[in-house]
Amino acid sequence: MKRSGSVIAVLGAAALGAVALSLATGPAAVPFRQVVDALFGGSATGSSAETAERIVLSLRLPRALLGCLVGGALSSSGVAFQALLRNPLADPYILGVSAGAAVGALTAALLLPGDAVLPLPFCAFLGAVLAASVVFLLARRRSGVSRERLILMGVIVGAFLNALIMLMVALAPPGKIPGAVYWLMGDLGMGTPRRVAVLLPYVAAGTAVLLLLSRGLDLMLLGDDAAFQTGLPVERMKAITYVTASLLAGCVVAVSGLIGFVGLIVPHGARVLVGSGHRRLVPAAFLLGATFLILADVVARTVSPSGELPVGAVTALSGAPFFLYLLRRNGGKP
Amino acid sequence: MSAALLSARGVHFRYREREVLSGVDLHVGEGEVAILLGPNGVGKSTLLKIISGLLSPGSGEVTLIGRPPASYGRREMARLLSVVGQEPPVDFPMSVEEYVALGRFPHQGFFGGMTGEDRGQVERALEMSELLELRARGLGEISAGERQRAAVARAVCQGAKVMLLDEPTAFLDIYHRVAFYEIVSRLKKECGIGALVASHDLSLCAEYGERIVLLSAGRVLASGKPEDVLTPGNIREAYGVDVTCDRNPATGAVRVTPLRKRNATEQ
Repeated sequence: MKRSGSVIAVLGAAALGAVALSLATGPAAVPFRQVVDALFGGSATGSSAETAERIVLSLRLPRALLGCLVGGALSSSGVAFQALLRNPLADPYILGVSAGAAVGALTAALLLPGDAVLPLPFCAFLGAVLAASVVFLLARRRSGVSRERLILMGVIVGAFLNALIMLMVALAPPGKIPGAVYWLMGDLGMGTPRRVAVLLPYVAAGTAVLLLLSRGLDLMLLGDDAAFQTGLPVERMKAITYVTASLLAGCVVAVSGLIGFVGLIVPHGARVLVGSGHRRLVPAAFLLGATFLILADVVARTVSPSGELPVGAVTALSGAPFFLYLLRRNGGKP
Repeated sequence: MSAALLSARGVHFRYREREVLSGVDLHVGEGEVAILLGPNGVGKSTLLKIISGLLSPGSGEVTLIGRPPASYGRREMARLLSVVGQEPPVDFPMSVEEYVALGRFPHQGFFGGMTGEDRGQVERALEMSELLELRARGLGEISAGERQRAAVARAVCQGAKVMLLDEPTAFLDIYHRVAFYEIVSRLKKECGIGALVASHDLSLCAEYGERIVLLSAGRVLASGKPEDVLTPGNIREAYGVDVTCDRNPATGAVRVTPLRKRNATEQ
């Protein structure tokens, strides 16, 4: 118990460190001193200091904060989906959430006139929630929602929506959706103060709900029957968890596209550090996810001399081998 | 008859076309250990699921402390009734102690943490089940029998007045089988609980059960004291095996010994 408290404190410090690193790195060289001045209103004046202030405050800080929110939300959403499906291999995208979001965003990009940046995230969000609801309703039986049917329906709906995505990308008029393709790969480049402000309440509310329900999430690991007999209203708990986790994943997809592997791997790492008790696991996964995604974004921005990589490529490239390592270390049991 | 903690009257249940239970009556009083016997597939688990509210009976009625299970709130019900079922394995890292402590859920605020009382009950349950040395071990690192004892400990610290146990000794060695029945007897004496235990262990049942309910073909074939229920005729009819029933010279309890199947040509 005591140990987990200090682990969470260390993870918090790591997240702050990652934000600091992110503020200090980028194509334009800004001395660390000027970064600090920009943040805390230092005394330095002059054009270089003003440029530095603009870069740090209006470009790098929103991007770092966006990384923090997106990484944290994906990870806590992953924790919730894994408890809901009693499967440590589940991730926030498993039930068609991502494909739904992508279809929503592409529809907006194709149908709406002009560059239509603002409705795009909202439509992605709508698509995610819609896909998640369809899957949930299809998986419902009189006796309740079974995990097996949820996964089966999620896979089927996801496959159908993925086919739609390919169709839309293939049939789109040239030049109509260049941003969308990049967005499909996962990208934090849309980090503006406004977006951070829009995302913040969703992520805060979703994570808070999961924290409040942490004891119920613990019980869900026992399976439906035992959880029910220990006093958990299982069907209600499943519905709330499902909606919350889909909202978290959906709102994040809306802003940053499909960033894979974070929601799958970070919960594993966090469990190794603090165990499966969700009261500690949810905050630990949030902080670890935030740190991981900010660092991945730093790599994505600096590794290629010709420009930025999509951060989703970095998370997948580093995530897949790490996941294999986890699988092998535990003798096939994640 | 002592005050009824649990009673079932005329319970019918069917899975699609197949009728599993066709009119089962059952009664568990305060401070009574009742044993539910019957061959595989006779509907013991189904009956326990109906009593715990997981399934609803096609017809007939179940009452738990005077009210039907569905009339209780979930947490209220879990404070009255604890269940050890046949559970799927937990695929997540969780220590024995964390697992046992989940039994305190119905006593905690939904968002609340462990109180001193909770911790005390967990400690007592671990001690009764002789799991103190395994408390920090992961559920994945212990044997099936040890997991079963942990499940019993979880139900014990739930602190309910009625316990339903579905083959809780299936994986246990003889020492821990006896230890299990000792736990139930102790809770019966100290807290006046009533327990309904589904089992296949005929001799231990006779030793510890006040009442035996023998199910066969969806009905109660016989119900009552061990010596009245455990007869060669009843066991022949329910299980299709020949046994001899005598008294254990040490305790006086009924002792059931299966007989080897006699081959027609050897006779």
